[in-house]
Amino acid sequence: MNFDLDDEQRDLAAAARDFLSDVASPGAARTALDDGADVAPGRAALAKSGFATITVPEEAGGGGGSVLDLAVVAEQAGRVLAGPSLVTYARAAVLLAGDARLAALADGSLAVAVVDGSAPVLDAVGADTFLARRGDDVLVGGGTVTRREPIDPTRGLGDVALGDDLTVVAGDAALRWQHAERVGRVVLAAEGLGTASRALEIGVEYAQQRQAFGRAIGSYQAVKHALVDVYVQVEQLRSLVWWAAWAADQAPEELPLAAAAAKAAAATALEQAAETLIQVHGGIGFTWEHDAHLFWRRAKVDRLLLGDDVAAYDEVARLAMAGAR
Amino acid sequence: MDFDDTPDEAAWRSEVRSFIEEHRDRLGRRSNGREPDQAVARERQALLYDGGLVGITWPVEAGGRGGTPMQQAIVDQELARAEVPGLINLIGIGMCGPTVIHHGSDDQRARYLRRLLRAEDVWCQLFSEPASGSDLAALRTRAVRTEDGSWRVSGQKVWTTLAHVADYGILLTRTDPDVAKHRGLTMFVVDMKAPGVTVRPLRQMSGGADFNEVFFDDVVIPDEERLGEVGDGWRVALTTLMSERLSLGGGGTDIGAGPDAVAAHVAAHLDGLDEGRQSLVRQELGRAYVASLANRYTGYRLLSKISKGEMPGPEASAGKLSGTKVARDLADLAVRVLGDEAAYGATADGAHGWQDLQAGLPGMAIAGGTNEVLRNIIGERVLGLPAEPRADKGITFAESLKGSLA
Repeated sequence: MNFDLDDEQRDLAAAARDFLSDVASPGAARTALDDGADVAPGRAALAKSGFATITVPEEAGGGGGSVLDLAVVAEQAGRVLAGPSLVTYARAAVLLAGDARLAALADGSLAVAVVDGSAPVLDAVGADTFLARRGDDVLVGGGTVTRREPIDPTRGLGDVALGDDLTVVAGDAALRWQHAERVGRVVLAAEGLGTASRALEIGVEYAQQRQAFGRAIGSYQAVKHALVDVYVQVEQLRSLVWWAAWAADQAPEELPLAAAAAKAAAATALEQAAETLIQVHGGIGFTWEHDAHLFWRRAKVDRLLLGDDVAAYDEVARLAMAGAR
Repeated sequence: MDFDDTPDEAAWRSEVRSFIEEHRDRLGRRSNGREPDQAVARERQALLYDGGLVGITWPVEAGGRGGTPMQQAIVDQELARAEVPGLINLIGIGMCGPTVIHHGSDDQRARYLRRLLRAEDVWCQLFSEPASGSDLAALRTRAVRTEDGSWRVSGQKVWTTLAHVADYGILLTRTDPDVAKHRGLTMFVVDMKAPGVTVRPLRQMSGGADFNEVFFDDVVIPDEERLGEVGDGWRVALTTLMSERLSLGGGGTDIGAGPDAVAAHVAAHLDGLDEGRQSLVRQELGRAYVASLANRYTGYRLLSKISKGEMPGPEASAGKLSGTKVARDLADLAVRVLGDEAAYGATADGAHGWQDLQAGLPGMAIAGGTNEVLRNIIGERVLGLPAEPRADKGITFAESLKGSLA
């Protein structure tokens, strides 16, 4: 059994971390929140780096890598609250597979977002091209974005009214759309893993330093155990993310369960990590000036994306019962 | 990344599997609840030992196979898959034996180890006491040296698994109360049939009786049965506890009934519930099922480390913490979907497996390291958070007793 990243994937993670920590940060997320600044690193820098389009085949100008490779990068993106989401690129790569526009995704000239019915659209802000589903067709075309009051501006949510110039990309939407959504859930969970694990680190650092009643607050079991519970959830989420990404690449029959489980676990773990981060910080934790709420904002929005956590847990239960009957 | 055996692992697995198939009938099957016949359980372990499937990681000179933890994990998986009941001497193999291997004399090793592996002798671990559970080093059972060099032991142990059938135990005692609590301890091998040893079974909340109280009234232990130096008992006990943690260590196996058995049971009862309740039950099942998948795949990460020859660190404690929680959630859900019948100890048709399981699981969050102790271990040794100050630090055991009585 070798359920672990290999050396190449570790190197990839390190490279992605170097790149992303230079171009994105909670500070940049704060500027987006305060001043309506563009999300960082933004589409151009992400496309140029090649990290966002790892799963696009090489002949279309992408990295020709696996979903697991992308998940490894997405974890690093989550740590620094980067935007746009790698979920958008992962879904677009599946939906545009075999289409000439895939090359435009890879070279950064296509600013895309994926529309799921009437749900808020991830990375709608700044997008000019929209992928949507109608019956058995995957459609592509323009649309109008209505920006709304954001909770987490790094997610670029907006309402999208599709234009009437939509063209058909593929006629196998039933399967393709579902597969894209599942790959998207894996990548969303990987970003959540990074965000939750960074929130845990910040909480642990503070608990080691902050003194109360003559000793570090991290020595009190009430604080220590709360952080440990987050640690356990984060490590368990890591296992599910790796399994789901591996399934996307190697075992398609396991992907429905694995993707739903990863999505659900990410929603729960990230919320707990963000709320523990605030609680451990006490009074400073719920100020505007502290970064804790930027992680909390990510948690409160991410749990609703690609079907909410309730839907994902329900799906897991249905699949489990069907498999066990 | 893959979930496959290496060629060596695959060859070993098929060897194990064919042994189990060949002896399928004599090995028996797990039955729910009732304690298996002791003689049968001892015979089963002897059969497995003679087939080379017991004591895999023990050194060859100790009667073991000199194999790897991964080979042991494969044996565990295959025995579980074939529903072969657990070994009667699990505590002996996992904890007492390794302690004798590390700290015993040549004579002790020759007398005890091979018999332990074949379950000719069953062993128990006599550590916990009424006044010292998690705070093991605060134990009070006294061992006093006599003029002829032997030791006289008086005191009480409790929560001792298998003491009622055990032939020997490893016994942690206090030999010097006038030094700090960790420094005044000494470990012995005790003959459970010796005069002055009284074993009283303790009935647990589940109705089962695997635990015991053990009383020592002036029990004489020859000095040759000492394990390690006088006053070095804490270090000796750490060997035992490290081995315990490894033998309980996750590896992706389920505690309790397993998520698929519960999912099938819930599926069979779902149609009888109204729609609103069905969706609530699916939420609960979904949450518990995700948690159990997470636990399983985290165990696979641990196994992958073991497969590469690395030893699991303190992070392995997380497996018991989360495995216990998910087992309780699954069992509670399994009982709940029985509807009104869930209020009784058995359903109208006499079935009580889920109810028994539910009552057995709270103990799992305590035995072998409480949730709180495990969280402290992870918090301090993985996350690097500071330990709590200790009120009995820097004073002798005798002084700490005065403090606790004041």
